[in-house]
Amino acid sequence: EKTRQLSLEVIPNWLGPLQNLLHIRAVGTNSTLHYVWSSLGPLAVVMVATNTPHSTLSVNWSRLLSPEPDGGLMVLPKDSIQFSSALVFTRLLEFDSTNVSNTAAKPPGRPYPPYSLADFSWNNITDSLPATLSATFQGHPMNDPTRTFANGSLAFRVQAFSRSSRPAQPPRLLHTADTCQLEVALVGASPRGNHSLFGLEVATLGQGPDCPSMQEQHSIDDEYAPAVFQLDQLLWGSLPAGFAQWRPVAYSQKPGGRESALPCQASPLHPALAYSLPQSPIVRAFFGSQNNFCAFNLTFGASTGPGYWDQHYLSWNAPGCGLPSSGRLVPTSPGHHGSALGAPGLMLLGGGLVLLLHHRKYSEYQSIN
Amino acid sequence: MEEEDEEARALLAGGPDEADRGAPAAPGALPALCDPSRLVHRLLVLLLMCFLGFGSYFCYDNPAALQTQVKRDMQVNTTKFMLLYAWYSWSNVVLCFFGGFLIDRVFGIRWGTIIFSCFVCIGQVVFALGGIFNAFWLMEFGRFVFGIGGESLAVAQNTYAVSWFKGKELNLVFGLQLSMARIGSTVNMNLMGWLYSKIEALLGSAGHTTLGITLMIGGVTCILSLICALALAYLDQRAERILHKEQGKTGEVIKLTDVKDFSLPLWLIFIICVCYYVAVFPFIGLGKVFFTEKFGFSSQAASAINSVVYVISAPMSPVFGLLVDKTGKNIIWVLCAVAATLVSHMMLAFTMWNPWIAMCLLGLSYSLLACALWPMVAFVVPEHQLGTAHGFMQSIQNLGLAIISIIAGMILDSRGYLFLEVFFIACVSLSLLSVVLLYLVNRAQGGNLNYSARQREEIKFSHTE
Repeated sequence: EKTRQLSLEVIPNWLGPLQNLLHIRAVGTNSTLHYVWSSLGPLAVVMVATNTPHSTLSVNWSRLLSPEPDGGLMVLPKDSIQFSSALVFTRLLEFDSTNVSNTAAKPPGRPYPPYSLADFSWNNITDSLPATLSATFQGHPMNDPTRTFANGSLAFRVQAFSRSSRPAQPPRLLHTADTCQLEVALVGASPRGNHSLFGLEVATLGQGPDCPSMQEQHSIDDEYAPAVFQLDQLLWGSLPAGFAQWRPVAYSQKPGGRESALPCQASPLHPALAYSLPQSPIVRAFFGSQNNFCAFNLTFGASTGPGYWDQHYLSWNAPGCGLPSSGRLVPTSPGHHGSALGAPGLMLLGGGLVLLLHHRKYSEYQSIN
Repeated sequence: MEEEDEEARALLAGGPDEADRGAPAAPGALPALCDPSRLVHRLLVLLLMCFLGFGSYFCYDNPAALQTQVKRDMQVNTTKFMLLYAWYSWSNVVLCFFGGFLIDRVFGIRWGTIIFSCFVCIGQVVFALGGIFNAFWLMEFGRFVFGIGGESLAVAQNTYAVSWFKGKELNLVFGLQLSMARIGSTVNMNLMGWLYSKIEALLGSAGHTTLGITLMIGGVTCILSLICALALAYLDQRAERILHKEQGKTGEVIKLTDVKDFSLPLWLIFIICVCYYVAVFPFIGLGKVFFTEKFGFSSQAASAINSVVYVISAPMSPVFGLLVDKTGKNIIWVLCAVAATLVSHMMLAFTMWNPWIAMCLLGLSYSLLACALWPMVAFVVPEHQLGTAHGFMQSIQNLGLAIISIIAGMILDSRGYLFLEVFFIACVSLSLLSVVLLYLVNRAQGGNLNYSARQREEIKFSHTE
C-alpha cells in the first residue's frame, strides 16, 4: 500500500506499575498492520498483519503481568490474521577483540558476561513521544555494580511511516508505509576493555520446526549507503511473509558517515531453547507457551578500524521490519541506470546517423565529379 | 672483482686529472661492460634508466595500495584522501611546461636528474613523516614535493634514453621504460599492504606510526632511484669524455603564445585525453575498497585486480604500439579504446559479473589508447610547436586529474560507488563524443589523422619527390 493511516498509542496500565506498551496501528484500504512494542521483560515487538481495516488490539493487563500471561494480548478478529511473528532483543553482548587478527572469527573475541535486556530499567516512553510517529525506549541495567552504564544508555528508537520516504541519516534505506524502522544506539556506556566490540542477541519465533531464513542480498547500488552493497534480511517463511532487513553497517559517530562505518555481522539463525533466553511476556501472551525460538547474534565492528572505543557511540539501523502486504524493498534506483546506459547509447546512435548522412553526401559529391 | 678493478681504474683515470682530457684511455682497451660504445655497456645504462623511474612510480600509487590504512590511521574521509593525489597533480600543472626548460637550460640533464630524484626522495620522506607525526597536512605537502620531482624525472628519463639510444634501440627502450613504470606500480599495489601488516605485527598495533614506517620503507625505492641517477650521471659524463658525446637535451621549446595557434583537432585530442584519463587513474586510486565491498574480494585479491591494468599495460604497450604503427588509422583505434573502456566501466557499475573481465578490458583499452592517442599530436601540430603541445597536454591532464580526484572523493563519500561509476561513465562518454567529433572534423578538413600506414607512406613519398 502507498499510504496508511497511522496511529501511535501508548496503552497505559491504570492499575499497576508503569510499563511501556506501544501500539502502532497502520490502516490501509483493506488491511491493518499492528506493531506492539514493549519493554516488559526484554525489549520485544509483536508484528501482526490482518486482512481487514477494522482489526483491533485487546490488552488484558492483569493477565499480561501475571506469571501465565497467555492470552493477555490479542488481535481481533482472530481469523483476519494473515501473518504474525515477533522479535525479541534479549541480550547486549560484549567481546574483547584484542589479539584477534582474523576479522571473520566467530565469536569475534573473548566474550564478557552479557547484559540481559530483561534486567534493564526503561524510561517512560510517553515522555519521548512527540508528534513525529516515533518513540524511544531508553534503558540501562537495573543492577550495575561496576557502574559501566553510569553515564550511558541503550536506546531503541522506533519510527513508523505513513508513506514511502528515505531518512536523512545513512544507511538511508527506503521505507514504505508497511514497514517501521528501528534504530539501536549505545551511547556513553564504558566498555569493559580497550577493544570492546558490542553485539545484540536477537530471538525470533520459528515457523513450525524450521527457523526463518537469513539471506544476504547483493545489489549494485550503494547510492544511499556508500560502499555498502549488501542487504541482509530475515525472512519468515514463503511469501507473503514478514521480513526484517538492514544494511550490514553500523556507525561509530553521529551523524554516520563513511569514515565511521563499522561492519555488522549477523550469525546464522540457530534454534534456541526457550529457557536459555530471557522471556518476553508479550510474546508469550500473544503466541502462547508452545513456541520454538530461534536466535542470532549481530556484532558491530571489527578488531581493526573505527569502533565503539572512538567516541563511545554506536548506532545501527534495521530500517525495514515489514509485513506481508508490502513488496520487498527495492534498493536499486533504475533512473540512474537508464541515464547512464542511455546517454552513450544515444550518443553512438546519433554519431552513427550523422556519419551515415555525411557519408552519403560525400559520395554524391564524388559521383558528380 | 675484475669489473670493480676496471671501475676503480676508470675512476682514477677520470676523477682527479680532469685536465688530462685530451688523452682518454683507449676504448679498445676497456672490457665491453665499461666501454660506452658497446652494446653491453648500453644495456647496463638501460638497466639504470629503468630503475631511475622505478622509485617514483612505486611511490606514486602508495596511497591507493594503502587506501583503507591511510583513511583509518589518519582519520580522513575519501575526499581528503584523494587530496594526496590532487597535490601530486597540482605541482605538475605548472611543472610540465618547465621540466624540459630546466633540464636544457638550467641544470643540464645530469644535475637535473639528480635534483629531481632528490625531490622525489625528500617528498616521500616528508610524506612518511606526516604519517609518523600524525599530521595529514605534512603528508599532503610531501606529495606536493614528490610531484615536483616525479613528472620532471620522467622527462629526464626520456632525455637520457634519446641521448643514449637514438637511432639504435630507441622504441624498444621507451617500451621497456614504460613497462618498468607499470611494474613499479604493480609491485607497489601488491607489496605495500603485506608490508603494512608485517610492520603492524612487529609493532603490535596499527596506527599512524605503522603507516609512517611502512611508507618510509617504501621510500627505499626512491633512494635506489637516486643512486641510479648518480650512477647515470657518472657514466654519462664518462661517456662524454671517452666518446665526445654531447650532453642530452630534451630539445623542447615551450612558447606559451603558441597556444592560440592550436587547431580544433588538437583541442579535441586534449579533451579526449583529459576525459579519458580522469576515468582511469582516480578509479584505480579508489578501486581497492570497491572490489572488497562490492565483489567480496580479500584485501590481497583486491590489490591484485586493482593493479591488473598496469600488469596488462606492461607487455601490451609495445605490441599495440607496433599494431598502430603498422596499420595507421589512429582515430579508429582511439575510438575502439574509448568504447571498450566505456563498456568495462559499465560492467563494473551495473553488473555483478566477475570484475576480472572488466579490468582486463580496461587494461587492454588503456594500453591501446596510449599508443594511438599520443602520436596523433605530432600529426596536427608543426614540429616547432610539438614541445608546447605535449607540455600543454600533460598540464591539463594533471589539472583534470587534480580536480576530478577531489570530486571523485566527494561523490564517493556522499553518493557511493554506483554514482561514482556513473560519473566516470559520463566522462568516458564525453571522451567518446570528442572522438566522433574529431573523426568528423578530420574528415571535413581533409586531415591526415585517420590515414592508414600505407597512405602515410605514399604521402611521405610524394613529398620527397
